[in-house]
Amino acid sequence: MPAEGPAGDDDDIRPVPFRGGGFRHVPLGYLSPLVFVGLIALWELGSRTGWISSIALPAPSAVFAAFLDLVETGMLWQHLRASLLRLVVGWTLGTILGIGVGLAIALFSVLRAGLAPVVAALFPVPKIALLPLFIVWFGIGEGSKVATILFGAFFPTVIATYSGVDNVDRGLIRMGQSFGLAWASIVRKIVLPGAMPAILAGFRISVSISIVLLVAAEMIGARFGIGAYILTAGALFAVEQLIAGVAMLSVIGLTISRLIGRAEKRFLDWRG
Amino acid sequence: MTNTTRRTALALATLALAGLAGGPSPAAAADPVRVGLLSLTSHAPSILAAGKGYFAGEGLDVGFVSFQAAQPMAVAIASGDVDFGVTAISGSLISLAERGVVKVIGGALQETEGVPGQKILASKAAHDAGLATPADLAGKRFGITTAGSSFHYMAHKIADGAGIPRDSIELVPLNAVPTVIASLKSGQVDAWSIVPNIAGALVKGGEVVEIGSVADYIDDYQVTVIFTSTALVDDRPELVQRFLAGFAKGVDDYNAALVDKTMSEADTAAIVAMIHEYVYTDRPLEAADPAIRAGAMRINDGGRLNLTSVTDQLEWFRSEGLVPETATVETLVDTRFVQTY
Repeated sequence: MPAEGPAGDDDDIRPVPFRGGGFRHVPLGYLSPLVFVGLIALWELGSRTGWISSIALPAPSAVFAAFLDLVETGMLWQHLRASLLRLVVGWTLGTILGIGVGLAIALFSVLRAGLAPVVAALFPVPKIALLPLFIVWFGIGEGSKVATILFGAFFPTVIATYSGVDNVDRGLIRMGQSFGLAWASIVRKIVLPGAMPAILAGFRISVSISIVLLVAAEMIGARFGIGAYILTAGALFAVEQLIAGVAMLSVIGLTISRLIGRAEKRFLDWRG
Repeated sequence: MTNTTRRTALALATLALAGLAGGPSPAAAADPVRVGLLSLTSHAPSILAAGKGYFAGEGLDVGFVSFQAAQPMAVAIASGDVDFGVTAISGSLISLAERGVVKVIGGALQETEGVPGQKILASKAAHDAGLATPADLAGKRFGITTAGSSFHYMAHKIADGAGIPRDSIELVPLNAVPTVIASLKSGQVDAWSIVPNIAGALVKGGEVVEIGSVADYIDDYQVTVIFTSTALVDDRPELVQRFLAGFAKGVDDYNAALVDKTMSEADTAAIVAMIHEYVYTDRPLEAADPAIRAGAMRINDGGRLNLTSVTDQLEWFRSEGLVPETATVETLVDTRFVQTY
């Protein structure tokens, strides 16, 4: 019996296919433009045939014409410059503060016990509801607009940062400790890079929230800005301009998402 | 226990039946009509016409749909979710009319001689710094809700009348009336114009000073209009006619009680209580009573429409490029239903 075993196994020898792989992203760069073009073509067709009423949704060609008006009058740059400035300043400040507070909550027990509940209590407060108060606190100039976006970016960043730090591999930290690394060195070389995936995922969310809040921020005393342009178009029921403005916000979102994708490649290359 | 409940239920049912049979029986097939409502005293005629049964008398079964602002109401009427509404002439209304979905069918709030009208207000800080008359508005910040709102129109008309360039007044869009009030009180904007009952409350608060009347700068200003969907105007003109007839009776009661004050105190109190069901509902009747009575502006009897003022407003919207060039009085107004002047 024991002697026959190996002989029988010899007959069963067969190549085993590699079962890893799978669950792996295959880059299909050409697909997303195709989906967009297809959707827009369908939409245009629906508008041309009258299946989509022009009151409900203007044709893409009409939206594009409204966009060209913006380019020709030069208003596009004025709106873009105003909005991008608010976005960049508000989001950057919110993110810097958010990462700082998030790290502090993650690293110091006293701050975690003290601040984490405050963050949890303030995060769900709708910033739009506080707009009248923001006027009194920050004025109707750039202050209240930047503040709205700042608060919008701050809270998700805090939460992304401290939960990112909480999820850093404990084994790596203990290894650092047993090699006698200083506390600051562990934070810089192990904790921060380890939390980076979560922080960058938090960026994606905080940028989107910032863009959403841009429209709310520009409700107050804004003559220029894409949010102000959208609100005016809505008030005048100029739906072509409304959709053109919304499309611009989408493009901004898409562009920033691409930039974050680049940043992920750059900062997360340690993962191999 | 069971018995008692059943008996009570039976008694209630009998009562209800008796009530139905005894009361004035509504028209066999009352047409359901939805009316858009803002919580403002100026929307009172619809409330009164419904409360006093004027609409029912015209064979209309009116239901109210509440809105926070005039713009969504205009869109709801365009989409057919609401049938009638009252609003200021705005860029949105003209634009929707130009697209052939809504029509102005009558006039409502109107600036008239002898009745306190809309006020021009200045913040205390700006007033102390020398903003004493509308002619001082050059270089000052004027609060508006949005571009193409009635506030935008008023600001430019005031500039024209005061002899200062329109663009010398810095218009600050603040999107909502409460935000404009907050900005004016805290001195973030210098000036604003608003209906007298809101103006009165603000001036009483002390943070705001009255510096003029809108009526001095705009002749016979038709502030709000009655409008409906083009579909209703084209397909069911008799329904529009009946709505306006009921509305007109509500207007008569409103003017008699709150503007001309020819109604007895008891009747007036009853009317104020009826309005209070929809306006200033967040405060008790005793507190709401003076606010409802104060500064009621005249509403045109019979829904008469001041076409001269409407045309002037339309011209302004076109000259500012806020509405398409193709928008005309013909696309905006259907003059078949009420007397125009």
